Amino acid sequence: MTLVLDSLDVRYGGVHAVRELSLEVAPGEIVGLIGPNGAGKSSTLHAIMGLAPASGSVRLGDRELLGLRPEDVARAGVSLVPEGRRIFGELTVEENLRIGFAAHRARGGRLDDVYEQFPILHEFRSRQAGVLSGGQQQQLAIGRALVAEPEVLLLDEPSLGLAPSVVDVVFDALTAIKERGLGVLLVEQRAQRTVAAADRSVVLNSGLVRLTLTPADADDTEKLVGAYLA
Amino acid sequence: MTITWQNLADGVALGAIYALMAVGIGLVFGVLRLVNFAYGQLVMAGAFALAISSQQGWPLWVGIVLCFATVLVLSVAMDYLVFRPLRGHSPAVMLVATFAVAFLLENVALLKFGSLGKIATSVASLNRPWSIGGVDIRKISIVAVIVTVLCLFLLYVLLERTTIGLHMRAASMDSATARMLGVRANRVISFAVLISGAFAAVVAIMLTVQTPLVTPDFALRDTIVVLAGVVVGGLNRPIPATLGGFGIGFATGVLGGALPSAQSQYLPTFVFAVVILVLLVRPRGLFDFSKTVERV
Amino acid sequence: MRRLAAYQEVVPPLVLVVAAALLGTLVSVSTQAYFTDTLVKVTIVIALYVFIGNSGVLSFGHVAFVALGAWTAGVLTVPISEKPATMPNLAHFLMHRHVGSVTSLVLAAFVGAIAALLVGAPLMRLSGLAAGIATFAVLEITYNLLQYEERVGPGLNTFSSVPETTGLRQAGIGAAVCVVAAFLYARSRFGRLLRATREDDAAARAVGTSVYRQRLIAFTLSGALAGFAGGMYVHLLPVQIDSVHLDLTFITLAMLVVGGSGSLLGAVVGALAVSAIDSYLSVAENGTSLLGWHIDLPSGTAEIVVGVVMAAVLILRPNGITNGRELRLWR
Repeated sequence: MTLVLDSLDVRYGGVHAVRELSLEVAPGEIVGLIGPNGAGKSSTLHAIMGLAPASGSVRLGDRELLGLRPEDVARAGVSLVPEGRRIFGELTVEENLRIGFAAHRARGGRLDDVYEQFPILHEFRSRQAGVLSGGQQQQLAIGRALVAEPEVLLLDEPSLGLAPSVVDVVFDALTAIKERGLGVLLVEQRAQRTVAAADRSVVLNSGLVRLTLTPADADDTEKLVGAYLA
Repeated sequence: MTITWQNLADGVALGAIYALMAVGIGLVFGVLRLVNFAYGQLVMAGAFALAISSQQGWPLWVGIVLCFATVLVLSVAMDYLVFRPLRGHSPAVMLVATFAVAFLLENVALLKFGSLGKIATSVASLNRPWSIGGVDIRKISIVAVIVTVLCLFLLYVLLERTTIGLHMRAASMDSATARMLGVRANRVISFAVLISGAFAAVVAIMLTVQTPLVTPDFALRDTIVVLAGVVVGGLNRPIPATLGGFGIGFATGVLGGALPSAQSQYLPTFVFAVVILVLLVRPRGLFDFSKTVERV
Repeated sequence: MRRLAAYQEVVPPLVLVVAAALLGTLVSVSTQAYFTDTLVKVTIVIALYVFIGNSGVLSFGHVAFVALGAWTAGVLTVPISEKPATMPNLAHFLMHRHVGSVTSLVLAAFVGAIAALLVGAPLMRLSGLAAGIATFAVLEITYNLLQYEERVGPGLNTFSSVPETTGLRQAGIGAAVCVVAAFLYARSRFGRLLRATREDDAAARAVGTSVYRQRLIAFTLSGALAGFAGGMYVHLLPVQIDSVHLDLTFITLAMLVVGGSGSLLGAVVGALAVSAIDSYLSVAENGTSLLGWHIDLPSGTAEIVVGVVMAAVLILRPNGITNGRELRLWR
């Protein structure tokens, strides 16, 4: 199912974080959402999950998601990997993953697929999640979101604070995820990496869409910088 | 000051009962970030149910069922009418609100039952002593410990081995993220409220053994003392909170019996001074050694 | 005229207080007691507003200062000849001292202020739930100490032989003075700085405001006002330690919440409104007639209704009747 944002508007009190954003994420594609700090990228993701006050429309297939509680959005098939990972440090790795089942539409569900994709999680499955490194925790956060077998995966700055080699692992995982037919909306600060990996990247600045880039633009530094500073 | 085996037994029994109250208060705090000042009133309601049943001459099991029913219904009502509408407000507002509810319920009881109270005699037989190795220990002391251990064990199994338990633990660590993963906030809260209520009912039954006279301020002093213990032990995490409840119950039970009254009358001052000290110096609690950042 | 307009916000609360006092002169002497009691409670609630309203920090402990004020004023105004009878264990310097009622009020305020300063020094670093619990602990400590310490007061006994000098006029003047004091504080630089921290304390700190210092100043002032109220209280009716403990804490907090903790007008409105409900219901508990119907409510209904109203306001309109704002009549 395609995730469709239509004139999404997010306001926090007097701050207009996102203005009339329209965007589509189809199954099997990675859409990047880049832009400078405060552009409204995180706010967009939060609005989709029902964590921020928003108006407009957010549809998954023919189901309207705007106005639903976060747990219901998750159950509808949208999973968020939040900024800063937000794993439950005192629970074990396996327990963290099992929480992901809460949003699973059907009963049951297996961890095998996730363990296959992220072998390190299998190795650490009985350890407390808090002892994992940043990169491992990021894999856990993604794995946890995948456990629910969502239609659309949202990621909020997954490469934040990670070493470049670890970022590779994350982006490889994203490619594998897209190949399984999920739609991916990727919010990132690392513009170049994102533009190269995504099918298309939308540049957001002050809540507005400035530009849409394709992987061909990944090496065009001038264009990238220009989009950010517009 | 001489401490007898009786004192120690009393201390352990009171500690066990207070530990249950601490868990009851801590469970709801974990998922709602709300300190239920009115928890003592739940115990009071259960105790009154027992008293009415015993007055009517109904068999013990009827009294117990009535006690549980009353407390659970009242808990759910509190949740729907007060806790949920206040979700998202500051913890201080919630504290004032539960303070209001406590005050309200105490006065309702005053209205219905008068200040003289009622007597619950159904479980009184537990107040009689067993002779163990030449020492008289009241049956209730032993029963209290067994019951508490059993309840805590059941809770442990629930939290560690069931899905809802996992959800509850996650929700008390980070409720926003838990919800984002599909954990149903309302279901988790309802569960916590029900378990908390069940524990209040158990506490009511055990307290009426030692204090068969049930008055509208039944368990009010106990609640305040337990709250102090929970804050000192550690409000944010279940084990420190329980230890704090047990600790203060034990200390109160032993010292209350062992100290001559001239010295024990200033015990509350000492206890509350410790509470203030802990809040200033180690706000997460004396027994809280976790690394997660929490704000009281 | 411009200068005067800046002071206009003190007018509505002042008018209400004066009106309440005047209304009290119109009723029977027995009913007058309700009005006087109300005006003393107004003073306590104003004290609460000075701290809670301006800082946004909860305090459960102010009734401790009321108690200390009552103890101070009571002990010092009981005629020396009567003291050995009711307070035989009184400390020497208190046993042989006697002051006039007005002096005792000043001393009560002073004691309240000192106590608040001593308590506030460590506690003003706390916020939120911790502040609520810590100030509650202060209340309990004070209650416990005053209960058993017979060297400073009657302990568990009720104060007796205290001259009943708090009449309608005295309570009215006392309340009016406190309204003005609270207003002047709120308008002052200190009040404004403190309110800035209430809105956004990170921003306030960034411009160099010492949150701690401003809170301590407000806490001390509110301690003085609470002590003063305690002094008036002990001269109104026989005070016993339980009458300055949880019940009084609850009702005064309820008054502030219902009126709106953010404004001085809220404190006054809340106190008057809740008092009116409470007094009316208390009278109705003894049997009364309303619009031709005879009403006879069971005893204790008053507190229940107040409790329900308070909970309802907290849930439905958390900023109270006044929505936390003062009333400006022009501009």
